[in-house]
Amino acid sequence: MELEERARDSADNCIACTSCVAVCPVTKANPDYRGPKLVGPAHNRMHFSDENDYEDSLKLCSNCKNCDITCPNGVSVATLNMLERAKYYKAHPEKHTQADQMLSHNFQMADMLKSIPFGRTCANIGMSIGEAMGMMGAMGIAPQRKSPRFATKYFREMYKEIKQPEGLTKEVLFFPGCFIDTNDPEVGVAFVKVMNANGYKVLMDDRFKCCGSPLVVGGYLDEARSHADNNVAIINEYAAKNIPVIACCTSCSLMLKAEYTELFAQEEMAQAAKNVYDAFEFLTILAEKGELKKVHVSSDKKFIYHAPCHLRAQGMGMPAVDLLKEIGVNIDSADAGCCGMSGSYGFHKENYETSMKIGSELFDKINASGAHKVVCDCGTCREQIKHGTNAKTTHPIQVLAKAYEQ
Amino acid sequence: MSKSDVVVIGNGFAGLMSALVSADQGKKVTLLSYGAGTFPLNSGVIDVLGYDDSGKAVANPAQAVSAVADEHPYKKIGIQALEESVKFFQDVVAAEGFPYVGSLNEQQWLVTGVGTLKPSCLIPESMQGSKCFEASEIVLVGIKGLKDYYVDMVAENLAKELGNDKKYTVVTVDPHYQGARDLTTKDVAAWMDTEAGYADFVSQVKGNAGAGKVILVPQILGLKGNVVYKKIVAELGCPVVETTAMPPSVNGLRLRDVLLSALKKKGITVIEKAKAEEAVIEGSKAVAIKAGGEVRLQTYNADKFIVATGGFYSGGITMRDFGEAKEVVFGLPVECDCFEERWVNKQLFSDKKQTFAKTGVRVDATLRGVDESGNVVLENVYVVGRNLSGYDFCFEHSGNGVALASAYKAAKA
Ligand SMILES: Cc1cc2nc3c(=O)[nH]c(=O)nc-3n(C[C@H](O)[C@H](O)[C@H](O)COP(=O)(O)OP(=O)(O)OC[C@H]3O[C@@H](n4cnc5c(N)ncnc54)[C@H](O)[C@@H]3O)c2cc1C
Ligand code: SF4
Ligand code: SF4
Repeated sequence: MELEERARDSADNCIACTSCVAVCPVTKANPDYRGPKLVGPAHNRMHFSDENDYEDSLKLCSNCKNCDITCPNGVSVATLNMLERAKYYKAHPEKHTQADQMLSHNFQMADMLKSIPFGRTCANIGMSIGEAMGMMGAMGIAPQRKSPRFATKYFREMYKEIKQPEGLTKEVLFFPGCFIDTNDPEVGVAFVKVMNANGYKVLMDDRFKCCGSPLVVGGYLDEARSHADNNVAIINEYAAKNIPVIACCTSCSLMLKAEYTELFAQEEMAQAAKNVYDAFEFLTILAEKGELKKVHVSSDKKFIYHAPCHLRAQGMGMPAVDLLKEIGVNIDSADAGCCGMSGSYGFHKENYETSMKIGSELFDKINASGAHKVVCDCGTCREQIKHGTNAKTTHPIQVLAKAYEQ
Repeated sequence: MSKSDVVVIGNGFAGLMSALVSADQGKKVTLLSYGAGTFPLNSGVIDVLGYDDSGKAVANPAQAVSAVADEHPYKKIGIQALEESVKFFQDVVAAEGFPYVGSLNEQQWLVTGVGTLKPSCLIPESMQGSKCFEASEIVLVGIKGLKDYYVDMVAENLAKELGNDKKYTVVTVDPHYQGARDLTTKDVAAWMDTEAGYADFVSQVKGNAGAGKVILVPQILGLKGNVVYKKIVAELGCPVVETTAMPPSVNGLRLRDVLLSALKKKGITVIEKAKAEEAVIEGSKAVAIKAGGEVRLQTYNADKFIVATGGFYSGGITMRDFGEAKEVVFGLPVECDCFEERWVNKQLFSDKKQTFAKTGVRVDATLRGVDESGNVVLENVYVVGRNLSGYDFCFEHSGNGVALASAYKAAKA
């Protein structure tokens, strides 16, 4: 059922204060981008559906949501941009590039490779060869980057081999998301350990699809909608059984909690959102109820934390940092803004320079920190950090899982 | 989230200063922020009192503050807290390497972005318009392609203000800008932060610099405190003065960054996009605030709360209908002359205060909300900044001054 309150109507709340322009990292790094105020709210209101009337620089927005974070009037600026972008590609499907197609549909590739014996190993070798021969650039993908390799075993496969303790009465459903599932499954393993230690059995549901974030950014809104409908139905099924859904990736959780509803304005989506939690949000709730497993870390190894923009946009601070600090981890937030990657954005060849310029403040802070590892909840932020600094990275849930092992 | 001593709601100038003063008292502070506050809009200068009730320009803010009407927040805050707050602020920004000049005993002068003069009380070193007074020649720098800065008009207006016995020279600097959008002062300031941009600028201006001259520029001297300002003054060998600016205001952003850096050093937790929605009250005390977040509100417990939500302008106070103004988070009593016929003074630039602008929470001398008989409503909830009733910041030029002094007083209480 359609909701009455729609994100696209929030354009009318814009008072043209330019706060969003002042903080937009792409505006700062790339003088061709006209900035959120004009591209989002203003254009949305002025746009009278001539299918050729599009703002050219719209494609430069990374959907990082710093505009939303800064807007004093609750305008869903980034979503307005994404809706506008979707309209453009609907009218001009031929404008989609090969890179758009690939970067938005990585989940299809991942599924296909899984079905081929040694498919992943071969693909990884193929990527190495492709990178070495400079083929990435020809496909529109930033040749400077190393593409994330596929794990030889995805999390959904590893999960089946994990023996969870008998007799756990409480259950949560894990939404792994593509990156953790197919690129960084150890994060999922750590999540299961942490939840088990707190008395929860972790469930998986193979019907889940990619949250759709890369599809939205690529302008494939209809496909994103079908993913949303699929995932929302599953989440609501579990809600009926009082089983919460938890994500470790902050872009996935933002999508499930907020962006589905913003983009598509369906009541079921708003309903499902109430049953979705970020992992550390959930653990914090346990801690507040005195139900979180107690542990104290005595090592003084120094960590530095990078807060993903898609976590900051959730309006709940940095629960991972608070919780890790509480148990004695020596960790401090870098507070250096956007890393510049924004999911698949920085992988596009034409965005590479912008992406690295945006990240430079964070890279400098990390390099100067002398920290032993960078902690961050987002997989593609971690890729960017490794690329920009050579630092080692980890997900906060892995830090907590380690603490539990001691 | 574990309990704080103080929760500050709102992240404008009043909110940030409340948090800093509270932390300085050794308190554990959480700040709930939403949006960017007025920083990107105002020039980051601290007006204490520019004009008195009759609209006469104030020469000595301390004296004029002592003479304000009983309803005015300064009366409740008192001159001592104002004085201490000014010192506190100047210490904070100086420690961050971004000193503000000025005192309560005289006004500083700003050159506006259209070339007029305007009084203020505390201003960054780079904006000291008074340096133009002694100069024999003012070199006005325009920037090719810069939006909303018409250097010839600035020259013309400034000559009217300062007289024609000075020489006014206009120089236009080409930033070799290639972008597709309009150039803003923020873009030029970012360019000045680069070594190449700085060197390019200096090479285009240097020929016009020299003894007895002042270089007047739009607000472009870098985004990071006064780094570029110090460098360029030394290099050009004569005073350089920035004008005020159209939003996004570079100096407003500088001040915000500097204060946020100070907050971080004090270990203050800042929660972004955390709009306070509900208060949890027990008896005559607030115990928690529910705020934020996507889907579900988060609970923030504390012993004391400071409401710095910016009044009408920033959503701290709303009014659906005449007579129904309310403070949004705690429902504190709002004082206003809420009758349609008296609400606005239709002459926008007239010499009278606006009724709607004076609307705010009714507080006592402790800055806690009080009912009509003067009884404190919530013992541990304090109100600061634009939320306070009884003054029209726009008319009297007192916005950031009231914000600072009230923040200081509430945090010390
Ligand atoms: C265009 C303009 C120019 C100005 N120029 C000057 C000047 O040159 N000099 C001067 O001294 N003064 C100036 N002022 C006045 C000055 O900016 C303000 O009076 C003063 O800064 C008010 O500060 P504040 O912190 O009370 O409010 P604000 O700066 O408005 O901050 C309030 C903050 O609280 C947030 N908020 C609101 N509701 C909630 C909630 N429920 N939960 C969480 N957060 C919330 C808002 O989003 C906002 O960020 C100017 C004002 C304007 C509008
Ligand atoms: S989403 Fe990010 S890149 Fe896009 S307009 Fe907003 S701040 Fe700028
Ligand atoms: S910050 Fe919000 S209100 Fe201000 S210009 Fe941007 S969208 Fe409009």
